[in-house]
Amino acid sequence: MTRRVAVVAGGHGKFGKRYDATMRELCAEAYKPVYDAGITQDRIDATVLSYAASQFTGQGAGSALMADSIGLQEKPHLRVESACATGTASIRAAYGMVASGLYDVMLVLGVEQMNRVSSATATEYMSRAGDMRWEYPYGISFPAFYALMASRYMAEYNMPHDVLSMISVKSHHYGAQNPKAHLPKEVSLEEANNAVPICRPLNLYDCSLITDGAAAVVLVAEPRVKEFTDQPMWIKGMGAGASEMMIQDRPTLTSIPGAKRAAKAAFKMAGLQPKDINMAEVHDCFSIAELIAYEDLGFAEPGKGRQLIENKEVYHTGRIPVNCDGGLKSKGHPLGATGVSMTYEVLSQMRKKAEKPSRQIKDVKYGLVHNVGQSGQFVNVIIYERGW
Amino acid sequence: MSGEKEIYLGYTTDKAVTPFFRQFLEALEKQQLMKSTCKKCKKEYLPPRQYCQKCLTECELTEFTERDAKLISYTVVEFAPESLISRAPYVVAIGEFPSGRRLTAHITNLMDMPKVGMKLKLSFERVSDKQVTYKWQV
Repeated sequence: MTRRVAVVAGGHGKFGKRYDATMRELCAEAYKPVYDAGITQDRIDATVLSYAASQFTGQGAGSALMADSIGLQEKPHLRVESACATGTASIRAAYGMVASGLYDVMLVLGVEQMNRVSSATATEYMSRAGDMRWEYPYGISFPAFYALMASRYMAEYNMPHDVLSMISVKSHHYGAQNPKAHLPKEVSLEEANNAVPICRPLNLYDCSLITDGAAAVVLVAEPRVKEFTDQPMWIKGMGAGASEMMIQDRPTLTSIPGAKRAAKAAFKMAGLQPKDINMAEVHDCFSIAELIAYEDLGFAEPGKGRQLIENKEVYHTGRIPVNCDGGLKSKGHPLGATGVSMTYEVLSQMRKKAEKPSRQIKDVKYGLVHNVGQSGQFVNVIIYERGW
Repeated sequence: MSGEKEIYLGYTTDKAVTPFFRQFLEALEKQQLMKSTCKKCKKEYLPPRQYCQKCLTECELTEFTERDAKLISYTVVEFAPESLISRAPYVVAIGEFPSGRRLTAHITNLMDMPKVGMKLKLSFERVSDKQVTYKWQV
């Protein structure tokens, strides 16, 4: 038996360098709006807790701490981990449990606290998501993996770096209008293009942020959705894909093969095509990743993704608005919270709850979330449908 | 293993040196790069694997003799992970040999920015008493 599943509520804490909080407080912040909306602990059957790495805080059994921090310590819970795609992997796991009938109501709570260690240490931990035997000994950091894609893409399609900077400018334009964003400030094309190099050809403004924060969503089975909301967001399609562990083994560096597989599966399940999508939240851990996402998701042909940003078609009034919350670049990227935050943003946009009209997308019937783990080893694509 | 000389690949000191990997490293000390070949289906791996990804049969190490390659992609790492800060900036490159096999390593003698498609040559270096590596030269 498979039941339809809807997202009925969401909560989102402030993203940033949160020295004022631990995982406990971040979790409470994300769950509080859900609680205030009437979804109290007694109405939740079970929880999936999403965090990518325990090294940052040193806290073991983090999921137990998370559940305990919001009064769900006696309900079943489990942790899911898929690097930066942990948030949507958790939603995928919860979807399976709700659709199958195991539970009716599940909370997915994503959190990461990364700023307890220095940037160099955080970079070290994330570089260990490369192959420890063959890649790690050569200091291939997380930005380095994407820089390897960027240098290839720029050479193959003869693309200048400015195009990548245009994506950063957009991200910061929308992040500046998002009170939950980590770095809510506008940047100029010149600033973005001339920033200090991190892993050439990528510079500081091509890279997402090392962020603390949490987000939550509630998934409910169709027969009980009406008890929770008259504005449900249905999970219409869901696809997952994977790619080779070592980046040198990929058949291409100008696309993420696992993302294409995930998108294909999600569109097939939804019975939709890329042109049907009204907004997308894509995994812009680096500017090049957003550009490649346009193509992997079928919004642009291979090599033509640049036209979407050059023609501003990915702005909130454009043909396919992308990351009008600031994305990972400006809103921030607390690993385990990111995929949940993306889903929260689609729900908010559908309900016309963007904090400012200047980033409210006009009419969202179908919204897409694209969430990539590490350099593409895990990818989840989820398509949501407005249910009212 | 206790009593054996410590030996590591590249510029870090990850402790996961198995007997199979140790054979690879000892050959590398003699400036030999080893690939592995599946004893059953003959699939080849570079860098080598102990077990075939396809049929899970054990592989054997044999020498890989190609040296000339072309640059597939690169990055110049300016902000390094903690363990490699002292080497930054450094150039990481994926090179492809005429056979299609690839290897990821540093280019250590560049005076200018790397270029996709440029020629690379595989070379070897003893980094320290305990570390040995393959590397690219232009």
